[in-house]
Amino acid sequence: MTVGEIVVSGVSKRFQLERNRPSSLKEAIIRMGRRTDADDFWVLRDIDLQIEPGSCVGLIGHNGSGKSTLLRLIAGIHRPTVGTITAEGRLAALLELGSGFHPDLTGRENVYLNGAMLGLGRKEMSSAMDEIIEFSGIGEFIDEPVKIYSSGMYVRLGFAVSVNVSPEILLVDEVIAVGDEEFQKRCMAHIDRLRSEGVTIVLVTHNSQLVRQMCDSAAWLDHGRILEMGDPNRVVPAYLDHVESRGDNTLTTRD
Amino acid sequence: MPDLSPALRKSLNLIHNFAERESKARYKRSVLGWFWSFVNPLTTVVVYGFVFGVVFDTPPPPTGSGRAQNFGLYLFCGLITWSLFTGVVNGCMGWLAGVSDLRKKVYFPTETALLGGAVSNGIQTSLEALVLVSIMVAFRNISWTVVFLLLALILAIVFALGLGFIVAVSNARYRDVQYLVGVVLNVGFFLVPIVYPLELVPEHTRGIPTRLLVEWNPPALFVEIARDGAYFLQVPSITKLLVATAWSGAAFTVGWVYFRARSMEISEEP
Repeated sequence: MTVGEIVVSGVSKRFQLERNRPSSLKEAIIRMGRRTDADDFWVLRDIDLQIEPGSCVGLIGHNGSGKSTLLRLIAGIHRPTVGTITAEGRLAALLELGSGFHPDLTGRENVYLNGAMLGLGRKEMSSAMDEIIEFSGIGEFIDEPVKIYSSGMYVRLGFAVSVNVSPEILLVDEVIAVGDEEFQKRCMAHIDRLRSEGVTIVLVTHNSQLVRQMCDSAAWLDHGRILEMGDPNRVVPAYLDHVESRGDNTLTTRD
Repeated sequence: MPDLSPALRKSLNLIHNFAERESKARYKRSVLGWFWSFVNPLTTVVVYGFVFGVVFDTPPPPTGSGRAQNFGLYLFCGLITWSLFTGVVNGCMGWLAGVSDLRKKVYFPTETALLGGAVSNGIQTSLEALVLVSIMVAFRNISWTVVFLLLALILAIVFALGLGFIVAVSNARYRDVQYLVGVVLNVGFFLVPIVYPLELVPEHTRGIPTRLLVEWNPPALFVEIARDGAYFLQVPSITKLLVATAWSGAAFTVGWVYFRARSMEISEEP
């Protein structure tokens, strides 16, 4: 496999529903490990996806279609129930507010911890630190615990870390929308730059305009399956038409 | 570290980060900071020393040098080993719970949080051991056999990690586990010859081989090895050393395998 390549083959993911799970040891012992099919919920079914190094792929679909779960599987947070996923290279993921921040640690300590999780040592992080502080615009708050940060500060610092650690794969899940206009612009410019440098990017978004602008291809997920995949200029309109026809357009940016 | 594989380097780096965090967090917002790590064991030793040495008037077994016959010191050797053991077992549950939210957002080898915590506890205990050794030096009851104290502490930490791996993963699912562990460790304290010498234990109690159980359970072996080295100034028996090492190795291996098999589920806990 080449660096930056992502291969998802035959992946299905099952979650066990909370309401059906034994909540105490006593209950678990009474059940003796018996479970029924009703306990399960399949979030993803038979996903096959090959993402070439250096390409930018947008995942679109209604809420609950499995986009975010797919991203988390690629990030290695969950293990697929069936199938395999390989993502070659240093992987940075921006999955939600404060991805990978520990609330009690200061911004600076979190930057080191994040670096360690990405396989970067202290020295490497120290040399990137100034740039990270500058990009995030956090200023002196870098030495305060991140739990006092505003949501915008969280996202800005998280984004600053993940783009400054020279990732080979970048996963982004709808987080950029939290920052203000100016920060969003900088993020877009930065993602664009990473893309031109050959970083593989997977983007989950409801912003269909963005997908058409940035992505080389788009995958439309529906109830855990890929309905269509390919040229964004074909897939995005198809998805939007589908949304229109269902009369459910509250979650989509219409353009 | 040019020769290490990237994965190993990453893990070591993470262990370093978690250990540092644990050590920093321990005495955050306290004026006296690390001073507290000496106060706690010292008060325990004084209190137990008073109860058993003064109230019950139990004479402690003679030390290796014949000097410094003191129940408090006898207790110190046992307690330092025991509290390291319980500290790591209990700690593992907390350390895992502490990173579980993080683990839902980013992948990292989760065991590094537990190993980092154990490293931090190990450093803390080394400081306490330094206090113990200084006292022993002051009482001129010291010999090269004190290395067995170090060995006992290492064996205790490894064994505790093995158990800790298992209880931490189980506790992530069922919070009952932490209470159960508390109860078991409470009982365990009295199954280990810390406040009493082994010789006082009867061979059999109603058909149960009490002596055998108290002598060969793993924490008891660690305590005995520590005491042999630091208090009696003698080399522990080879059988004791081998059995203790076997316990540690087996517990760690089983715990590790179990943890590796189950740790991916942590990100799916609600």
